[in-house]
Amino acid sequence: MLDSLSASLTVASSGLEAQSTRMRIVSENLANATSTGRTAGADPYQRKTITFDAAMDRASGSQLAKVKEIGVDTTPYRVEYDPGHPAADKAGYVKLPNVNMMIEMADMREVNRSYEANLQVVKQVRSMLGMTIDLLRS
Amino acid sequence: MDQNGAVVGPLYLFELASSQARYLELRQSTIATNVANANTPGFRARDVEPFNKVLDGMPVRLATTSPSHMQLAAAETDTRATAKKDSWEVVHSGNSVSLEQEMIKGSDVNRDYSMNSAIVRSFHRMVLAGAKA
Repeated sequence: MLDSLSASLTVASSGLEAQSTRMRIVSENLANATSTGRTAGADPYQRKTITFDAAMDRASGSQLAKVKEIGVDTTPYRVEYDPGHPAADKAGYVKLPNVNMMIEMADMREVNRSYEANLQVVKQVRSMLGMTIDLLRS
Repeated sequence: MDQNGAVVGPLYLFELASSQARYLELRQSTIATNVANANTPGFRARDVEPFNKVLDGMPVRLATTSPSHMQLAAAETDTRATAKKDSWEVVHSGNSVSLEQEMIKGSDVNRDYSMNSAIVRSFHRMVLAGAKA
């Protein structure tokens, strides 16, 4: 079993990892916000979602943050009339991805905030370890 | 302090300081868990019982006044993580971690730890001064 301060560092880094995976999903969604299908009537890019789960870590005796599942958003696609588009169906409608820029931006801010909080924990633990080591120095 | 960990005069302070340091480390680890799971659905924020409560709950120890007395195992400071009731916010997913609250707790722990190590350092200097004189 790790000591509490090392366990704190492990937990905080699991949080950092989970948040960076979430950031990856957000950037994938944003990058593919206009990715349509190639053939007539084909489905476009489907927005990805991510969920987290607390996983018990036996080595440190604490609950790490883990990515539970990367799923897809099943809300309907946006439809636009554009008969000249390669992915347009018989009636001339093109299906566009169900990515909402506003939602992705809000999600990105939240990732930022959580990441910052985890970094703050790392900083505090480091300063506490520093204080303990300083005891030997005086 | 003697080998058996029994309370001997004013040197009890070292034991008290190290049990507070253990408590603060555990609290920091609980805060880290809360922050890491700030976006986990259904995760309930946890906290450790206040230190004075832990200290009050410590069993009274029998003093050993003769070498023939039986030794009792040194009671460990036991800090139970308790489910927190006074969370600032509970979001729709059932998560009750408030990052602001955790940051405040984190800086509290940091400050207490700094005071703790300062006390240990100055007490250590006192002991050394006594030994030199």
